[in-house]
Amino acid sequence: MKQKIGRIFRLYWIFTQQFIKRLLEYRADFITGALAFFLGQFFNLVFIFVIFSNVPQLEGWTLDQIIFIYGFSLIPRGIDHFYADNLWKVAYFLIRRGEFDKYLTRPIDPLYHVLLEGFEVDALGELLTGIVLVVAAANRLVLTFSPLKILGFIVAVIFGTLIYTGIKIIFASVALWTKQSGSLLHLVYMTSDFAKYPVTIYNLLVKTIITYVIPFAFTAYYPAAWLLTGEKPLFSLGGTTAAGIILMVLGRLLWNRGISAYESAGS
Amino acid sequence: MRFKAYTPFTSAGIQSAIAYKWNFLGFFFGQIFFTFVMFFLWRAVFRYTPGGLIGGFTFLDMTLYIFAANITGFLTDTDASYVVGEEIVQGTIAMRLIKPVSFNLSILFTELGQKLIIISMVALPVFAGLEWYGFTQSGFVQFSLPTFLLYMISAGLSYLVMFFFDVCFGYLAFVFKNLWGINILKFGILNFLSGGMIPLAFFPPMIQRVMGFLPFASMRYTPVMIYTEKYHGLMILSAMGTQILWVLLLYGLSRLIWKLTEQHLTVQGG
Repeated sequence: MKQKIGRIFRLYWIFTQQFIKRLLEYRADFITGALAFFLGQFFNLVFIFVIFSNVPQLEGWTLDQIIFIYGFSLIPRGIDHFYADNLWKVAYFLIRRGEFDKYLTRPIDPLYHVLLEGFEVDALGELLTGIVLVVAAANRLVLTFSPLKILGFIVAVIFGTLIYTGIKIIFASVALWTKQSGSLLHLVYMTSDFAKYPVTIYNLLVKTIITYVIPFAFTAYYPAAWLLTGEKPLFSLGGTTAAGIILMVLGRLLWNRGISAYESAGS
Repeated sequence: MRFKAYTPFTSAGIQSAIAYKWNFLGFFFGQIFFTFVMFFLWRAVFRYTPGGLIGGFTFLDMTLYIFAANITGFLTDTDASYVVGEEIVQGTIAMRLIKPVSFNLSILFTELGQKLIIISMVALPVFAGLEWYGFTQSGFVQFSLPTFLLYMISAGLSYLVMFFFDVCFGYLAFVFKNLWGINILKFGILNFLSGGMIPLAFFPPMIQRVMGFLPFASMRYTPVMIYTEKYHGLMILSAMGTQILWVLLLYGLSRLIWKLTEQHLTVQGG
């Protein structure tokens, strides 16, 4: 086991070195990509400010609190986007073009290989915006961070990230049967837009979906609300942890079944 | 110009849109989720606004606005810069030089075919849904055929503005080689400045004045304001006049760039 983990880290380092070489070659491209995602967040913020220029609070949340929740939502999303972006390629075209076969011929678990192979620098646009917003909003709200809250924050970020990755693995796995599932993954992934704002503004249907069906609300609103108010720790953090673990296990199982059912697209 | 030469492009566009319908349907549903997020945010805001009026918009106005803006954005969206950029990077643009049809127009007619499918599969159901929603909220039918026809004409002009703007943008591939990053950047900027998220009337007056000299309002805002009946009479005339002006201007610019390309193009052989 120890040897196995050591091997993965060594491979990780080798892949990272290759990746940095690529990064240096296409520098301008990576910078514009990160800038694009940063600007996307910026416009969303302008939208929030316009909304709050009309009302002092929204369903019991102040502007600073909303910014905190919004910023928090970008952190797990950004981390997942950074290291697990290749799953999109599996869903969209790697299998359809027959390029997926290469992962099966290598002496390394195909899922690890897909995840190790590339990083998405664009994600830094999201991640950094998220961190800046959380810090700025926490400052303005004069939030005190006890060791317990810091621990809770870390747990929420880790398992929130796993929720994203788990969902992506599940819906990328579908492509192992259907050759492509990009549109389906896109559709599911986009429901995460709902999670950036307090779930209290939604109707029952949307609330139920993003809490229990595609539990993106646990990547942002629930843990962030706990950090802000200290209420319902078990539901918020427990839910995030449980959802993260369940989705990853489901993803892994489905992926394994998909790999055994996989037939190459051929040429 | 011989339109007949371009009809095969349109039927090819229709066929490819039908073949890849899940691609654009997936994209469409992804986009409309965010519109629902905005809907719920505005709903909460209007609930706490005494009088229920923000910037001259009632909640119903705002709902119609954001959904109409979303679907109009979908109708006027174009892949022109992607097609142009790809041909430049791959070098296949050289083949376009020997064909007796215009490069820009052949892309345009292919996309028109795709738009026909999008209109029938997505736009008409959405507008029917919006009218139905308006009826349940206000108690009377607001649909007026002349307004809708004006909307369709204006949306068509918006598409042409977008298209020729995007063609010019695509030629940037001569400079940047890979357009993926700046394309996302462009999408974000256009979406915001053309009124995709917030009505332009909500912007500060100074920014609005600057926007008057830019093509963004002609790309989406004008048809949406016509559909929601915020524009009347002369206002419609002047806004659509501005759209036509931008179509001509950007068309001229794209022609100019193509002429320059023809003279200076060097493609590395394979």
